[in-house]
Amino acid sequence: MSAEAVRSVSSEKGVSEDGRGEKGSGGKGLSGKGLKAGSVGLIGAVVIGVSCIAPAYTLTAALGPTVAEVGVHLPAIFLVGFIPMLLVALGYRELNNAMPDAGTSFTWASRAFGPWIGWMGGWGLISATIIVLSNLAAVAVDFFYLMLAQLTGNSGLADLSANLPLNIATTLVFIALACWISYRGMETTKTFQYVLVAFQLLVLGWFAVAAFSHVANGTAFDATAITPDWFNPFAVGSFTAFAAGVSLSIFIYWGWDVTLTMNEETKNPEKTPGRAATVTVVVIVVIYMTVALATLAFAGVGETGLGAGNPDNQASIFAVLAGPVMGPFAILMSLAILSSSAASLQSTFVSPARTLLSMGHYRALPKKFGRISPVHKSPSYATIASAVAAAAFYIITRTVSENALWDTITALGMMICFYYGITALACVWYFRAEAFRGIRAFLFKFLAPLVGGVVLLVMFVKTAYDSMDPAYGSGSNVGGLGLVFILGMGVLLLGVVLMFIMYKVQPAFFKGQVLAKSSQVFDPDV
Amino acid sequence: MRYVVGYSANARGRDAVNLAIALARRQNASLDLVMVVPETSPYNVVHPPAAGYQSIVTDQAQLWLAEALALIPADVPAQTHVRKGESEASVLIAAAEELAAGLLVIGAGSRGLFKRFTIGPVASTLLHAATVPVALAPQGYDRTDPITRLTCGVGLRAGAEDVLDVAAAAAGRRKLPLRLVSLVALDGGGAPGGAKGPREHADERLAAAVKGRVFHGVPVELAVAQGRSIEDAVDHLAWEDGEVLLIGSSRLARDNALFLGSTANRILRSLPVPMIVVPRSYKSVGQGRQSIQSEEVNQ
Repeated sequence: MSAEAVRSVSSEKGVSEDGRGEKGSGGKGLSGKGLKAGSVGLIGAVVIGVSCIAPAYTLTAALGPTVAEVGVHLPAIFLVGFIPMLLVALGYRELNNAMPDAGTSFTWASRAFGPWIGWMGGWGLISATIIVLSNLAAVAVDFFYLMLAQLTGNSGLADLSANLPLNIATTLVFIALACWISYRGMETTKTFQYVLVAFQLLVLGWFAVAAFSHVANGTAFDATAITPDWFNPFAVGSFTAFAAGVSLSIFIYWGWDVTLTMNEETKNPEKTPGRAATVTVVVIVVIYMTVALATLAFAGVGETGLGAGNPDNQASIFAVLAGPVMGPFAILMSLAILSSSAASLQSTFVSPARTLLSMGHYRALPKKFGRISPVHKSPSYATIASAVAAAAFYIITRTVSENALWDTITALGMMICFYYGITALACVWYFRAEAFRGIRAFLFKFLAPLVGGVVLLVMFVKTAYDSMDPAYGSGSNVGGLGLVFILGMGVLLLGVVLMFIMYKVQPAFFKGQVLAKSSQVFDPDV
Repeated sequence: MRYVVGYSANARGRDAVNLAIALARRQNASLDLVMVVPETSPYNVVHPPAAGYQSIVTDQAQLWLAEALALIPADVPAQTHVRKGESEASVLIAAAEELAAGLLVIGAGSRGLFKRFTIGPVASTLLHAATVPVALAPQGYDRTDPITRLTCGVGLRAGAEDVLDVAAAAAGRRKLPLRLVSLVALDGGGAPGGAKGPREHADERLAAAVKGRVFHGVPVELAVAQGRSIEDAVDHLAWEDGEVLLIGSSRLARDNALFLGSTANRILRSLPVPMIVVPRSYKSVGQGRQSIQSEEVNQ
């Protein structure tokens, strides 16, 4: 019994080597990736990218509001909207490689610009994901009831979604379920993603073909001839409409950047991410163009009946058009959108939870946000906080707004512009020492993020300013101020207030004692 | 001998550590506390993409393990490991095989209000797939003194001798008192028409179990427990505080693997003491196991 106590705290190789990033961390422990290395090929990466964009959900949510802004120039705006997304995503990739960290925009902006802007960058990211959560849940609920109606042949069931208390209750149930799944750490499998993506693309393609054949047979609602003018972004009536359209189309590509940031989980980290990003965007642009053109050609932009300009149709265009276009097969569209929004709802929960966790970890939020469930090893407090916030946001929007889905999507576009803008400029500032060392650094670390960031922040300011107009978006307003402005600015203002409270309660982060602004300019050669 | 402890930073994890200490002190074993952090699948699409999340979880796991290590008394050698994997149960099994552990210790479950054992999903998986004996700590197990007696459940069917061999070897190693019990449910049992009653069957079974077996000088006690049901029979047995029940795997199990049979499951639900389930055809460490693969990985 003379056993001498032998003690050691050790970790297996894979973990400890991943544990700490070496580059640009300034000794504060920004850390490495933990994804399964080398398991994703090109097709897998494209599936991940498309799944993340969730085209069926995105189109039904954003097509209507965008048509409301730019009319027939929808295809032009969809094309133009990709440019700032591309530019910002290039900067995002550079930051992600240099400072891999769960806090993403929060951490990077803190490092580049210090704690205050960093905090607001994190807040912008969290707000955007919270807003999209409530919108995803709402869209899922709409199509849930629509599908019930299509299944039973009782069209009265679809109207249940318009019953306010029932709608709110069902949406909260969806949010709670997704939160529970995320909290339990359950994951979407490869097969499920493949099926989900294939099904979405198939149904969207079917919709487009069916719409065009109605046009050809003369059975379209308002057959409209496609003209080259639709592709001309300069033909959009006003800068207001253009800015609104671009901030909406940022939303439709939101998710694409995931392909660019995949590295070690791909089979060929040198080539796969770039190729996957290219293929993904081609697939997405083709499907968006086809569906946008089909919708406009079939329904026109008239403001009555099935017209895409009819405000009643704009919150969820496929809920209205799928029936007339696809006939009895409209139920497939409901299923595609329900599955894509429900899957996104579940996976999107991870994102604000991780940012909140990271902010709790760096003491930018109360410590409890940094809690990890001992059983499921997932962010516990942060996940539940996200669900509560998404539910609260939905209840407020739904009760105040005449058209909650529409207004949330517009506010969401604004919020994405805000935090992507900050992130892109953080990239420019962080890498400023390298900016003129070679063409690659100049393009990816300086020019692209600079232009992208400036464009997005301009869009943000312009949209915010315009949205004060009570007639903006769906026309909801509170005391003469547009609801989109109130939602967007209200959320940001809430962030400012919370930030100052945090400063009073826990000043360490704001004094740069936890996550220091890089003391010297990042320079990989030193 | 090494024991792998499937640790989690909650009451269940502490139950497991306590039981592991009690067993290790008696059997002079060392402990390997293993914590499993989930491995994120790239197909679980996370947007915006956030690298580095995993290391926050890993750091937290290291912290938890360090706290757990501080609670282990100095006379029990212990080390800790963080492992990544999709399924906690399969990572624990792999760790136990790799470390050539003689036992895998886990907390059985926690939410049962009235039953002493409720089995969590990880424990349940382990009980149907483990390749080493699995020790289940009941909820609230707070004993860390060496265990005082080993009870071995003697089953009805062929193949039940495997667990007796293991029990005899384990008891013999450190001269741990051994009790062999046979559980009898009177309800509906017993052949009709003057045939031998279940009680006699049980006595015969015990006699057969002892016959021809070497117990290395360990005191062996025989007991038959009867009740209306298996649960009732378990309730009628007297248990020492420091007792541990050893039972065999179901004959449904593959060789060298566990499968918790229905009787064992029912015993588990009413048992006031820890239970160790032994895989089918399992040979104790030192009895010539072949699946020992590698040394400790971390240098």
